Amino acid sequence: MVKVNDAEVPEGLYYTKDYEWVKIEGNKARIGITDYAQKQLREIVYAELPAQGDTTTQNEPYGTVESVKAVSDLIAPLSGKIEQINTEVQSNPELLNQDSYNKGWLLLITPTNMDELKKIMNHQQAIEWHKTL
Amino acid sequence: MPRKIVIIGANATGVDAASAARKTDRTAEITLINKERHAGYSRCGLPFVIGGHIPNFNDLIVFPQSFYQMMKLNLKTETTTTSINPKNKTIDKTDKTGNTETIPYDSLILATGAYSFIPPIKGKEKQGVYSLRTMEDGLQIDQAIRNGARSAAVIGAGLIGLETAVALKERGLNTTVIELLPQVLPVMLDKDMAKHIHEMLEQKGLRIIIGKGVDEILGEEKVAAISVAGEQIPVGMVVVATGVRANTELATKAGIATGETRAIKTNTRMETNVKDIYAAGDCAESINIITKKPACPQLGTVAVRHAKVAGINAAGGYALFPGVLGSAVTQFFDTQIGVTGLTEFFARREGIETVAGTITSKTKADYYPGAKPIKVKLVVEKESQRIIGGQIIAEEDVNQRINALSFAIQKQMTIQELAKADTAYAPPLNETWEPMVLAAEVTLRKLR
Repeated sequence: MVKVNDAEVPEGLYYTKDYEWVKIEGNKARIGITDYAQKQLREIVYAELPAQGDTTTQNEPYGTVESVKAVSDLIAPLSGKIEQINTEVQSNPELLNQDSYNKGWLLLITPTNMDELKKIMNHQQAIEWHKTL
Repeated sequence: MPRKIVIIGANATGVDAASAARKTDRTAEITLINKERHAGYSRCGLPFVIGGHIPNFNDLIVFPQSFYQMMKLNLKTETTTTSINPKNKTIDKTDKTGNTETIPYDSLILATGAYSFIPPIKGKEKQGVYSLRTMEDGLQIDQAIRNGARSAAVIGAGLIGLETAVALKERGLNTTVIELLPQVLPVMLDKDMAKHIHEMLEQKGLRIIIGKGVDEILGEEKVAAISVAGEQIPVGMVVVATGVRANTELATKAGIATGETRAIKTNTRMETNVKDIYAAGDCAESINIITKKPACPQLGTVAVRHAKVAGINAAGGYALFPGVLGSAVTQFFDTQIGVTGLTEFFARREGIETVAGTITSKTKADYYPGAKPIKVKLVVEKESQRIIGGQIIAEEDVNQRINALSFAIQKQMTIQELAKADTAYAPPLNETWEPMVLAAEVTLRKLR
């Protein structure tokens, strides 16, 4: 596990500067918030997510996460069709604090344009970016 | 057009107000203007860094730079707000390089805080005289200790004065506390309860002088001694902790009214008398829940509660502030002290007739190893028999009892109801009879 200043930045994921990660699973992409983001937000109390069947647009907000003291827009890392949302996170938002890269995933989408991955950070770029935070 | 919210001040109040505003309005442009270099840190933690309980002053920074980025808050540090122009709805600010700028606002929140009040003691300008309000103050005191100060005088035996005195003692300084009033913690405790703290502090090696003022701070350029009632006490440094006063100059110049506590007058939405301008935290006055009179207890918990209400309202939401009780706790060495509501002394000064009861019990079952004494004092209004105040001293478990008493007061509980209250018990955690319940029984007996 790669750690930068106490924030986990796992290998095999893409990252955005809006504190999101993307995991490519075949022709689908799983999306969530980074460890850095959950540490900044602290006790997350609410996750507002779109509905299954909705679409996301790269760099556009698709929901919000709210903690005791903070709130942050969720900005889509890729455009696509939402196949599945993590309802468990909605009923149990602390999953985002406990395990933001696994149990705390937010959306599973079918990306409409995989080329958009070129516009976001790969693992190495994400490590360098985390160092500047 | 996004709403423009400007917040003057960026510590407990300013940042919490910004968070609440952001939660209410996701698109507002929120600007925080902070005079100090450091923002978003806990002032309350300063004495505990000096005392060595917290390793670094930087550990007190609750909101790092990244927080402002994520929350899309525009933070400007080392920037002074020079004027507020309610007519044009703008403020003028100057940064450290002298650049001035006028910023428009739709809503303005004053979180200007307070400053340490230094009474006109002769010699107060000497090198080695400090106060403790900001991180810079803390760093200076810490540096003075590192530079070899072996002894100190603390002027004022209030909460901050004693927290600082204890910290200095913990760092090995020979420490003397001088209090003009006839007891320590004159705002927090009644004399009978304060006596126990006075004795405990003396046992820990502090010298406590009450009922006397400091006549002069002596020394050439640098502090060498203080003079108290004819006695010269040699000291290497002096910390003045004689209270803080609300920063209201900026507000007053803009026609914003202050109240009888000399802080900025607010209504239940934390609005000032000028439209779209709010005030919160140490600079703002609110209402005491019991006396219904203006109060300004200048506590961290009041600051964040004010801030939340001001932030929501400034962002177009709706929230009300219910008032203050002045609930406060602290710890000196191993002794915890808590208070909520009115002391007997302050209640009587307000013309309230009181009955009070005090008991000493244990924090665990009497037979359980490690049980500590706990002293609980309750103050009751005579006619309604409602609880209006509580003071607790013990080596453990003070804070949540103070909170429980605060809830009781807020819900206007009578002493009879507390005497019959349903409480929890297990030998390692409590006495079978909860000490607050026992204190209620003692008080009740006096009412019969």
